[in-house]
Amino acid sequence: MEKILEIIKQLSGDVSQETINKFLGDTVTKIWKEYIMDIETVIKNKVDSLKITIPNASVNKEYKTEVPFQIDDISEYCVEGLEDTGLTIDKNENGFIISGTPTKSGTFPLVIKYRHEVSLLGKNLERKIDLIINPDPRSLWKDLPVAPDIEYPKENTQVQYIKVPSKDGTSRKDIAAASKRGRSHANEGKPRDDDFKLYHNDENDWYVIAVADGAGSAKYSREGSRIACEIAVNHCINELKNSENFEENIAQYNLFKDDSEAEARKYVGDDIYKIVGNAAFLAHKEIDKVADEKGVPSKLYATTLLLAIAKKFEFGWFVATFWVGDGAICLYSEDNNGEQPQSILMGVPDEGEFSGQTRFLTMPDIFKDSTSLYKRLRFKIVNDFTALFLMTDGVSDPWFETDSNLNNPEKWKAFYKEIQDNKEHPVLLEDDNEETAQQLLYWLDFWSPGNHDDRTIAILY
Amino acid sequence: MRRLPVYILIDTSGSMKGEPIEAVKVGLADMMATLRQDPYALETVSISIITYDKDVKQILPLTDLADLQLPEITTPDSGPTHLGAGLKMLCEKYDHEVNHGTINQKGDWMPLLFILTDGKPSDIQEYNNIIPIVKNHNFTSIVACAAGPKAQIEPLKKLTDNVVSLDTMDGNSFRKFFSWVTMQVQAGGKSVGTTDSVELPAPPAEINIVI
Repeated sequence: MEKILEIIKQLSGDVSQETINKFLGDTVTKIWKEYIMDIETVIKNKVDSLKITIPNASVNKEYKTEVPFQIDDISEYCVEGLEDTGLTIDKNENGFIISGTPTKSGTFPLVIKYRHEVSLLGKNLERKIDLIINPDPRSLWKDLPVAPDIEYPKENTQVQYIKVPSKDGTSRKDIAAASKRGRSHANEGKPRDDDFKLYHNDENDWYVIAVADGAGSAKYSREGSRIACEIAVNHCINELKNSENFEENIAQYNLFKDDSEAEARKYVGDDIYKIVGNAAFLAHKEIDKVADEKGVPSKLYATTLLLAIAKKFEFGWFVATFWVGDGAICLYSEDNNGEQPQSILMGVPDEGEFSGQTRFLTMPDIFKDSTSLYKRLRFKIVNDFTALFLMTDGVSDPWFETDSNLNNPEKWKAFYKEIQDNKEHPVLLEDDNEETAQQLLYWLDFWSPGNHDDRTIAILY
Repeated sequence: MRRLPVYILIDTSGSMKGEPIEAVKVGLADMMATLRQDPYALETVSISIITYDKDVKQILPLTDLADLQLPEITTPDSGPTHLGAGLKMLCEKYDHEVNHGTINQKGDWMPLLFILTDGKPSDIQEYNNIIPIVKNHNFTSIVACAAGPKAQIEPLKKLTDNVVSLDTMDGNSFRKFFSWVTMQVQAGGKSVGTTDSVELPAPPAEINIVI
């Protein structure tokens, strides 16, 4: 200190104490500020180069992430910017934890405010990091009405229950079916493209069920699916009116059903070809005709078709099917005489290398020769069954996803349980319960990420 | 979960430096924000970004939209445009990242590809060699965008019929382009293989369809 005074005196002579004090104050402030700035630059560089990634959050989804934030010389810090988002920040020795269930979506700039021990009073350094909170997809779906003047209008939902009352003291199976416009269609005000048709012949007890899924990309597919169900079911109705010969063949086949070379098998095969196969072919032809009259290619009516006929005999149930496209037809037996549950997938779903690729009733090669058609037909005799399911891919995709699951009886068991035990919309699959169809419709509202296509299911049970 | 994979190839050669690349970044950010508001896109769209200049980098591996954070995009001061090498990396990543349907796995939706360039491929031989390989990979559509006056259309037409051009490389043009891309992504994953070619939504005035 004395040395400083001596230097000042040498340079300026006598200087008042006040001036010297001012000089000392100014100089120290200046040097101190530079010193702090250097320290802050170092620490800011440290913080800015810290690799901090914060995973995105989603509204209504519980979130927790730990953000390491540990710099030696930081005396204190705080994190701001998540007010009103439903997320909270808790510091610990390693950094801070962001947790909670977000209530607001958007991009939120998170500001870490920190200071070095020697920072100027009240001055904070900052680092900003964006936190993205996704909206809850469920809140984004719109339910837009279909334009009133479209060609081929169709109701957004379809439900039907065919109650087949007990006969001679024995209860008989009923059919419940429901179809619902998918969220992805509702979101754009597009109509439902799925369809179904049910029938039961009260005199000879034949059941006929058709379910169809119009291709989302095809302009008139909603009409394609309607025609497919209508024509195919009507043909079966007519063919099954006088079914004595057919039923005799089935009875014969039952006797020799374990012999794959049996003549009886061939006769039934021929009958099925004529009834079920032809029903599909006539539907195909009718769509061609309608398209032709309109002067447009029939692929604008592209649709899948899943068709089944069934009847109970003394020796068991006979079920025959035709199937083109995706979705599923499955004959499910829960009890199976005390054995493991059994599921018989009545065909092979037409799936491609990529999602959404399938085959359609409108494609000419489906009927190019009898072999092509035969391989889409199945028939089976079983003692009894729990449920015969026909569904479009709007239902089968979310619950089964892959071919291997569709062939897994355990998955069908879980599916059968899910329908009945669904928390929000359980379906009471009881005999003669006419509410079942409506319950099925409610059940079809289930949530499955990425699966929002039209949904249709028919159950013979 | 089946995804809709979207591959975006962005030219980061020297000429993109400055306003153009900044405009691209804004366009991409807008695109992500819009897609996040679309419930279907939010649950299905996955995006990958590959940049190409003299080096090729996959700066964003195929990532679900919900988890996605846009990476930093940098451009060198100058240098060539290795689109051929960019497409080569695209094919490798496609083979590795896209799920095909098997008995045990649901296939992804067929991917979409968008290519943006403001010049022409410098690695012309590699570019020509890779074209048939790219075409061998299944894409619902390949859209190539020639941005600005120096972008050459002819090489892009060898790759795809869907070539569009932007007269200018300002923020407005790129914004319009990316919002058009967004519409196509929103339409993807719903169109099923009935129609032979997918119809592109009509572009806004700033985007010229090259015929």
